[in-house]
Amino acid sequence: MLSVHAPVPGTAVGLSEVSDPVFGQGMVGPGAAIEPAREPHEAIAPISGTVVKLHAHAFVIADEQGRGVLVHLGIDTVRLDGKGFEKLAEEGEQVAAGAPLIRWNPADVQEEGYSPIVPVVALDADGDVISRAVTGEVAKGEQLFQWA
Amino acid sequence: MAERRVKVGGKVGLHARPAALFVQTAAEVEGEVTVAKGDSPPVSAKSVLAVMGLDVRHGDEIVINVGGDDPEAVLDRLVEIANAD
Repeated sequence: MLSVHAPVPGTAVGLSEVSDPVFGQGMVGPGAAIEPAREPHEAIAPISGTVVKLHAHAFVIADEQGRGVLVHLGIDTVRLDGKGFEKLAEEGEQVAAGAPLIRWNPADVQEEGYSPIVPVVALDADGDVISRAVTGEVAKGEQLFQWA
Repeated sequence: MAERRVKVGGKVGLHARPAALFVQTAAEVEGEVTVAKGDSPPVSAKSVLAVMGLDVRHGDEIVINVGGDDPEAVLDRLVEIANAD
């Protein structure tokens, strides 16, 4: 059982709350989303593993069993081209759950006209392997859902 | 089995959205579907993790291989996704 932790503080909601259908309809995979607190913070690794991808606005961590978790900081934020995001780790690095990966401010993303909602997705997983997804207020590092 | 080599025209490359669409289309094929960046080893095009891990960016050349029935039609769709914005 893999415990996937909240990478950002805020309010946990279902993935279906994400306006982008690729996330909202679970096309990337099942998971949860967090409406992040509108204050500067460091997004953290939701699981321990290897930093497979680290973009300014999104990252993927995979554990040794190949289970990959995608965290996307806001919707369409690739168009910000890194503006307002600071990478705190490197691709290929081994990190523990809770390690800081990106510094950002959801309030700034919102001001730029983008939704700062944060989908947290279990890549290549079937919907029924995700359980105990929390909703409501969630602290950074708290369990967001379990991946069987 | 059919192969196609294309330059990715999509502005963000095969990132979250196009990667998901790409994998969803590949997953519908009964046979094997692989994608490689340039001459690097091919990975399964049915895995979001594998496709995102390739880090295909705008202008990169990818090689797609499709098995199963009617691979050319599948290749057409995959190339369309890789080039869409």
